[in-house]
Amino acid sequence: MSGPAPAQAATPGDSAQDPYDRLRHLPLGTHVALRHPSGRRLAGWLLPPDSLSSARVVKLKLPSGYNIGVRIEPGTTFEVLPGPPFGAEATDAAPGNGQGAPRPAEDPIAGTVALLTTGGTIASRIDYTTGGVHPVKEPGNLEALYPGITSGGPIHVRSVAEILSEDMTPAVWTRLAEEVVRELHRGVRGVVVAMGTDTLAYTAAALAFQLRDLTGPVVLVGAQRSIDRPSSDGVDNILGAVRVARQADLGEVVVVMHATPSDEQLAIHRGTRVRKMHSTRRDAFRTLNGRPLGMLVGEELRLESGHRPRGTGPARAEAGFSDAGELVWMYPGLSASTAEACATRARGIILAGTGMGHLAADHLPWIRRATERGVVVGMATQCLEGEVDPFVYSRGRELLQAGVAFLGDISPETAFVKLQWALARSTDPSVVRRLLVDDLCGEFGPARGLGTKKSAPDAGKEGIA
Amino acid sequence: MKAGLEIHQQLSTGKLFCDCPSELSDETQGTFVRRLHAVVGETGTQDQAARLQSGRGLRYRYEVSPNSCLVEADEEPPHGLNPKALGVVLTLSELLHAHVIDEVQIMRKTVVDGSNTSGFQRTALIAVDGEISVNGKRFTIPSICLEEDAARKVGDAPGEVQYRLDRLGIPLLEIATGPEISSGEEARDVAEALGALLRATRKVKRGLGTIREDLNVSIEGGARVEIKGVQELRAIPEFVENEVGRQTLLLELREKLRSHGASVPTTPPVDVSEVFRTTTSRGVKDALAKGGRVLALPLPGFSGLLGTSKTGPERLGRELADYARATGVGGILHSDELPAYGVTPQEVEAVRSRLGLGGKEQDAYVLVAAAAGPAERAIEAVRARAREALRGVPEETRDPVLEGRTRYSRPLPGRHRMYPETDIPPIPIDARLLQELHLHLPERPEETLARLTSKVGLAPDVARKLVREGEVEVFDRLVASGHPVPLVARLLTTELPALEAGLPAPIAESDEARVRLLEPVLQAIGSGRFAKEGLGRVLTLHFQERRDLDSAIAAAGLSALSAEELQGMAKKVVEANVGLLRERGASAFQPLMGDLMASVRGRRDGKEVAEVLRRAVQERLGALGGDGKSP
Repeated sequence: MSGPAPAQAATPGDSAQDPYDRLRHLPLGTHVALRHPSGRRLAGWLLPPDSLSSARVVKLKLPSGYNIGVRIEPGTTFEVLPGPPFGAEATDAAPGNGQGAPRPAEDPIAGTVALLTTGGTIASRIDYTTGGVHPVKEPGNLEALYPGITSGGPIHVRSVAEILSEDMTPAVWTRLAEEVVRELHRGVRGVVVAMGTDTLAYTAAALAFQLRDLTGPVVLVGAQRSIDRPSSDGVDNILGAVRVARQADLGEVVVVMHATPSDEQLAIHRGTRVRKMHSTRRDAFRTLNGRPLGMLVGEELRLESGHRPRGTGPARAEAGFSDAGELVWMYPGLSASTAEACATRARGIILAGTGMGHLAADHLPWIRRATERGVVVGMATQCLEGEVDPFVYSRGRELLQAGVAFLGDISPETAFVKLQWALARSTDPSVVRRLLVDDLCGEFGPARGLGTKKSAPDAGKEGIA
Repeated sequence: MKAGLEIHQQLSTGKLFCDCPSELSDETQGTFVRRLHAVVGETGTQDQAARLQSGRGLRYRYEVSPNSCLVEADEEPPHGLNPKALGVVLTLSELLHAHVIDEVQIMRKTVVDGSNTSGFQRTALIAVDGEISVNGKRFTIPSICLEEDAARKVGDAPGEVQYRLDRLGIPLLEIATGPEISSGEEARDVAEALGALLRATRKVKRGLGTIREDLNVSIEGGARVEIKGVQELRAIPEFVENEVGRQTLLLELREKLRSHGASVPTTPPVDVSEVFRTTTSRGVKDALAKGGRVLALPLPGFSGLLGTSKTGPERLGRELADYARATGVGGILHSDELPAYGVTPQEVEAVRSRLGLGGKEQDAYVLVAAAAGPAERAIEAVRARAREALRGVPEETRDPVLEGRTRYSRPLPGRHRMYPETDIPPIPIDARLLQELHLHLPERPEETLARLTSKVGLAPDVARKLVREGEVEVFDRLVASGHPVPLVARLLTTELPALEAGLPAPIAESDEARVRLLEPVLQAIGSGRFAKEGLGRVLTLHFQERRDLDSAIAAAGLSALSAEELQGMAKKVVEANVGLLRERGASAFQPLMGDLMASVRGRRDGKEVAEVLRRAVQERLGALGGDGKSP
């Protein structure tokens, strides 16, 4: 220490004076009484600051339970009151400290369902004192959050990631596929993957393209209302997902979520055909271009014909994704040069075209140049419902001649996930293109008219180079 | 005794967290079903009232109303706080000299009885430390809150409760007073004064159920008991006095229990189902037939203190029964009222001997007959309540029932049921906005009274009635558009209240809508289409029988008497009474006026009728060569 630096001297000096700075440095939960220069007194417990609060505002929890923000004037004084800090008297009264709930013995695999958590609120607990979110790991905690979840058999919980759904990456998709295979090899009845809903449909498609010869269902599930609300849909969703994983004769990747605003009906969607179609509603997830694979109404589980039953295994993963693909939304006024910039680095591009798979004529030259270079270009419709068709209008034919692969009725997002997966399988454009147009796991719906599937004679067969 | 009030007033500003209107409706656009789960709150603790509710495993069916959207269905986050509603609360805070919070935080108050689709009620503390003077006494106002009203309960089925979404989300302004109220009458007067102040903002809803009072009552040595949702001001004194009486009784009973050496055992309840194998008591028989059990809890020293229906409306036996009912069973039987209800003296003796109470006459017991689980929960609730009896008065929430009586509904909720509404950022209250509001405060009720009596010239009781009925805004607007003051006053203080007393709901809730509906009626009088004497009849036909205004006027037989027709009728009356005219001269006017009014009442204004008749009389007298003096 070679004497106080000027800046340092100023800061502690000021903070010793300024009641706002002094308050900010007290431990959260401290019981304090604030006295405004006008003489008004307010007592309560210090809460963490809100990032959206105005300047010089501290948050207090009042004895009535209300939180308020108090602006600290330079003349405000305060005293620290005796008594336990906020929350200290309470933490152990909470259920779900691991007591009371049956704890499964080591590896009683028969009848077990694996629950892989990734950090969405559906399998997390919120700590209001710090604002932090923690994954649920203990079966006891799980039973407290979801009473009855272990009633049908043991649950084996593993945390694969602790991220928000919007932070999901292909690297996690890869890890999830490997974890699913590991759990199925251990002999679990099925696997539930709990995550946030924003990118849940992408993850569902990503797992569907990676996983083969599934011996049980892989069920993705989330909550549109966070689990800290008494009305959360997460309770029914996760109980339903566990039931499907345990009981359904399904050997594919599905999503189980509310089918209606009511808590009584859950839909089982095929992972490659589902899309989040509403930002907030419980029934946001819908199967595009068709009906869900099945329904879970109360205790009754119904599957449509056409689902893939449990396989004999062993389950395996063709895991991993390239980052050499792009997804370009074709909108009026998009310049050809901007779009082509996406193609310079890419080995594959999904175009979300208008209507039956169209775009403006000035894009044709760069698309021709790209396909000639060996870039795989696929077309899906931004209409989301219905399929692309190159034969109805001349622009479609021009695109076909430019080398664009028309991808039926799959969503742009599913097409993009499939492209990233296919690019990781091969560097040969013809192989990538074949993977893109082939029906690998039921991602294409029944044909309704002229479509690429009819010109893809090998549809349905797997064709890994 | 000490009492405090909480007043909840619905605002007419539109809903609090979405853009739906505040008006209720009976149309249903489908239903949906939900369940609610108790969650762990901010402190890591579950609220005990919340846990109790969610433990009952009910499903809730919601009827979707046209004035609801995804927010009420809990399918979309709340929109921002309604600025109009906030403005009303800030205005009221200023009127009550309260300190407005610097930065408001919306909270979630856990409510899992299904009345909120989210499982919580959104509420925010807006101001603290206000005050109001009533009858020269100062009462503190510790808090002023803004919250959302709950869904309206419309039905009950086994395992299912039905609600409508139309009321959910209507802003409720909550004013709490300190515990300084010392009598039932004072409670009513404070409620009335706060009600008048609320109406002074001119942004409140009207009609039954739009203002609800919670009464917090405790007596020396008693405990805080909250009586929820009293809807009528005049019932307040009775509720307060009955609660004082109930707490007094409980304290007396505590002394008697202590002198009897009463105690509550900790041993498990005794299964006495065997005793009732062949019983003729219907409730017990039914429970056993369904595979249930009869559980008994001995209560040493309680005998004679549980009471019977002859003891009076309040008694310990009923308190025990209410706690049992809150767990879901139909009720209890206790030894003070047995043998009765089909339970025989032999069965009573058998139960006593099973419990080892033979000969111990000071010992009582309670029976619950129900399925095993519920019976056990109910008997534990009885045990807990009996323990409280040894301590005195338990803190609790009670619901009003008939005749100023109340019934236990749930424990007082604690602060653990409050946690922040994370979907809405904190709301800073701009000091400039407050200054602005302060400069434009609405007239206080006493100022309104002074203006109406001194400037407008209304009689004091008429002015008071306008203030009390919350019709000042409507009055001012109708007078401002040129209608005569006495007519508007009569409409709003006599004719309209009489009409609305007989209607299920007011003709319209908002001041704007009332003015819109009443304006044409007054215009019809102003333009001579019917006379003010026919107002009551026209209002009834128009608003109660729902005729349009023209046909209401016609049906009242009041329409279309032209000036010429009136003159003709006046002449006829005069001609028919020429003899009288000759005899009495101008003083025959009075009887003639009576005759004429009998046939034109309500069709032309009385003054005009008098004028026309006077002229006709003078003309005829002139023709007769009479004195021509004015009557």
